[in-house]
Amino acid sequence: MVFDEEFNVLVIGGGHAGCEAASASARLGARTALVTLNLDLIGQMSCNPAIGGIAKGHLVREIDALGGIMGRVIDRTGIQFRLLNRSRGPAVQSPRAQADRALYRLEMRTTLENTPNLSLRQGMVVDLLTANNRVSGVLMQDGRRIAAKAVVIAAGTFLNGLIHTGRRTYTAGRAGEPASIELAEALKRLGFPVGRLKTGTPPRLDGRTINWEAFQSQQADERPVAFSFATDRIEQPQIDCYIGYTTGKVHEAIKRNLHESPLYSGQIRGVGPRYCPSIEDKVVKFADKDRHQLFLEPEGHDTNEVYLNGFSTSLPPGLQQDLVRMIPGLEGASIIRPGYAIEYDYVDPRELGPDLQVRRVTGLFHAGQINGTTGYEEAACQGLLAGINAALMAHGRARFALRREESYIGVLVDDLINQGVDEPYRIFTSRAEYRLALRHDNADERLSKYGREVGLVGDSDWERFNQRRDRIAKIKATLNANRIRSSDAAYTALAERTALSGVESISLADLAKRPGMTPDVIWRLLPKETRSTLHLEDLEFALADNLYSGYIKSQESVINRLHAHDTLPIPNTLNFRALNGLSHEMAERLERAKPLTFGAARRIPGLTPAALATLLVSVSTH
Amino acid sequence: MDTIVAVSTPPGRSAIAVLRLSGSRSLAILRALVREDKFAPAPNRVTLKKLFAVSDDDLIDEALVTYFQSPHSFTGEDMVEISCHGSPVILRRLMDLVQAYEARLAEPGEFTLRACRNGKMNLSEAEAIRDLINAQTQAAARQAARQLRGELAEALESSKQELIRVIVTLESALEFVEDDLPTIQINEIENTLQTLGAALTRLSDTYKAGHLLRDGLRVAIIGRPNVGKSSLFNRLVRLERAIVTDIAGTTRDSLTETISLAGVPVSVTDTAGFREACDKIEAIGIERTRRAIADADMLVVVIDGSCSLQEEDTEVLRAARDHSFVVAINKADLPQVPSVNNSFNGSSVVHVSALTEEGISDLMAAILEPFGSVDSAAAGFLITDSRHYDLLTRAKRSLDCASRSIEQGASEELVLADLHNALRFLGAITGETTSEDILSEIFSTFCIGK
Repeated sequence: MVFDEEFNVLVIGGGHAGCEAASASARLGARTALVTLNLDLIGQMSCNPAIGGIAKGHLVREIDALGGIMGRVIDRTGIQFRLLNRSRGPAVQSPRAQADRALYRLEMRTTLENTPNLSLRQGMVVDLLTANNRVSGVLMQDGRRIAAKAVVIAAGTFLNGLIHTGRRTYTAGRAGEPASIELAEALKRLGFPVGRLKTGTPPRLDGRTINWEAFQSQQADERPVAFSFATDRIEQPQIDCYIGYTTGKVHEAIKRNLHESPLYSGQIRGVGPRYCPSIEDKVVKFADKDRHQLFLEPEGHDTNEVYLNGFSTSLPPGLQQDLVRMIPGLEGASIIRPGYAIEYDYVDPRELGPDLQVRRVTGLFHAGQINGTTGYEEAACQGLLAGINAALMAHGRARFALRREESYIGVLVDDLINQGVDEPYRIFTSRAEYRLALRHDNADERLSKYGREVGLVGDSDWERFNQRRDRIAKIKATLNANRIRSSDAAYTALAERTALSGVESISLADLAKRPGMTPDVIWRLLPKETRSTLHLEDLEFALADNLYSGYIKSQESVINRLHAHDTLPIPNTLNFRALNGLSHEMAERLERAKPLTFGAARRIPGLTPAALATLLVSVSTH
Repeated sequence: MDTIVAVSTPPGRSAIAVLRLSGSRSLAILRALVREDKFAPAPNRVTLKKLFAVSDDDLIDEALVTYFQSPHSFTGEDMVEISCHGSPVILRRLMDLVQAYEARLAEPGEFTLRACRNGKMNLSEAEAIRDLINAQTQAAARQAARQLRGELAEALESSKQELIRVIVTLESALEFVEDDLPTIQINEIENTLQTLGAALTRLSDTYKAGHLLRDGLRVAIIGRPNVGKSSLFNRLVRLERAIVTDIAGTTRDSLTETISLAGVPVSVTDTAGFREACDKIEAIGIERTRRAIADADMLVVVIDGSCSLQEEDTEVLRAARDHSFVVAINKADLPQVPSVNNSFNGSSVVHVSALTEEGISDLMAAILEPFGSVDSAAAGFLITDSRHYDLLTRAKRSLDCASRSIEQGASEELVLADLHNALRFLGAITGETTSEDILSEIFSTFCIGK
């Protein structure tokens, strides 16, 4: 076949998955092309203009620790940084930042344009070229053929995208952009099991028409916590967001007009995310709530556009305008862009291996919403993994995967490829068994070694990581070596904070575990010479390790005790239907999930203890 | 699956014995035994057939045979049961023959294992079957049957749901900080955990009784020579089993009988008296006594109430000190020495007469007393399995840790670490709760999401 151009790796889609994939692949030395429908919309935030949040922030820090780019880009373009769960323990704290949408796009594009080995190409991929079940390149709408040893599909909501507003529907990838219909059909031709999912977005308002006084302001953190381990300080001026509420009047109007909603008329078949419900859903499913919370999020420094977070809807635009004006403070507000719902194709992620390559076609990788996930961060981490593996494959190197015990990325991939999805998949901290060990601030300690091995973590980042590790080791030694004695001046004040009765002498490490102890208190108890050179974040890090170590150990022993069989492999030759007595339904669940280990089987939803016992007996005697 | 065979009735001579086959060759083997190639017994029907060895003139026995067709059998495989006469000779011949027809001897528990593998029962049911087979009394059998019906899982289900409710509340607070969730009522959570812990304790406390029902209680009767241990033993077991004379040291061996006390299987051991051994045989008997004491759950220390306490009595009491014991002051039919009665402060004391049977029922009650009420017909569900007991205790301990963390104002993720451990322990009995289950519960409870 004659090709117009040849690359090692070709990435389809310039969203959050595509950008990470292309950047990683190129930086690993693979000649890489990023093909996108519109170069000006690289790194577009199609939904809310924010990155991070509980568990999602963890993902971004993991991406950064591995050598990805999302953390650095948001650090340069974030206009409201907040560390969530600040009042809770360090394992469940997570950074979140609202972005200047336009700046983020620009920064991402600049980052990619400055990446050696990476070529940007505008156009639409309409077919995958394969030979002997192996990918060889893509065919473009304009007739160009581009060769590639590996292809990453990161097409977002574009695959067979169908937008709904009220009873009207039209094909589109996002509002104002064409859908990718032929590529979706090509995937079906290759035999992939394809399903439909749905997501939605709220209307954007003209900031000049909002009565800001009616809302409660929410400030950025004074001491912003960055996403990237390389960021020293956040430079962007920080802005306020605003909180408001719907009223019963709005709810009544929505209920009266439910027949206009494609969600309730049966027009939308795709399943939407439960944790991101439309305002219609909230009003119907939680009818006893007399108000629902709304966030007004300015989209950037240089725009009037305001994102009405919490008001996702697919009602007709005219009605949206009426509803918005029933909200206190928005009586005079105008909608700039109406909200809408979009249905799109996804491919069953159980088609994937842990490297995000599909089993069906060698050299083909899927990342992002095509795998049934939702969220920029979820997409980006898959893009990074797929990009790394595509490049490794093009170079004939061994594949790269992460375990769920060591990372949220590992949890996400493991869940996807073993359990598939019934609704758009979002990461939560509760999905991670080892939540206490997977902190946002120790992502580098967990993962940078892998990023370094693979070749994505550069010398200066690696150097910085090692320095920090040494500093923290020193602090830990100091915490263990220094003791507070009942004769010390500080003792009485401490005893008031935490019960110390009868304690003659206690190490700072043990003292820090007691209730009421904060890093500030411990800091004051450190020797002067330690304090003078100490980074507070390093101390927080050391104290977090110290706080959780006992819990992590006891949890490990419980899991080892109860889930001793988790590592038992399930031979891929095992025919679940032939397991006598396994009900049809159970066999089917197993067959669809294709678990590789007993542990993976245990996590398949809906599998009964009896079915698991049957399976266990079978694999342990196999 | 190869075909396995086992004799399912206890060893020894008996009226009938049952031989079981499971596996695809079961029916073929039966045909060979009855020497009819086309023998097609209706499934689940009992048929009287003659069983032969290699030739038609070599009759082994006439037996009732039943064929169970897969999957409608205990193991889910093709099975055959043969009820023949319980002669060891007949059984040995049949077993040899069946193995010659390419069945192999079953490993212990292999029938149940196959039943598990074929989804005929889950692990906890399998454990219950084992208990049912080993059940020594009716009450124990009733408990095992209850467990078999999944009553343990049922008894735990509401506790587990409560625990999930608490987890859901705390998880939501952690996971959805920006959502407009109701504020957590810490008091309410603390109370729920208290109630939950109490429920688990109630259930795990039944283990003592449940364990008794299953394994029975071992009681040893001890005392210096000639205080009437054997007469008391005979009264308890209602058999003239032990040789009773008034010559000290008559009982040289330990005798054991199993009786049913209020539905509890109790094995009672009559022991040789405590004294310096005069001959070798007696020395062996005394050594056995010491072993019986070590093995016993409960000791009955027999004292002669008609004469004052002797040095040997004190020695016996010293030996009993580290065990549960009840003092039986015997010979209540004779004039009593008042000082004896006052020597057992704080111990459980019963006055009995082995001769007149006076106080025997009090003694029986005193034996069972420390093991809680085992009015098994009235009692609810009882834990009989040590694994279940262990899991429940550990779950309770995790709940206690969580409560302590809450009390100290610890952050939710620490409280949750212990609550999830508790849930894992309960899940090992009732089936797992996945994080997806928890998330579903969150989304149906709270309005989540911007």
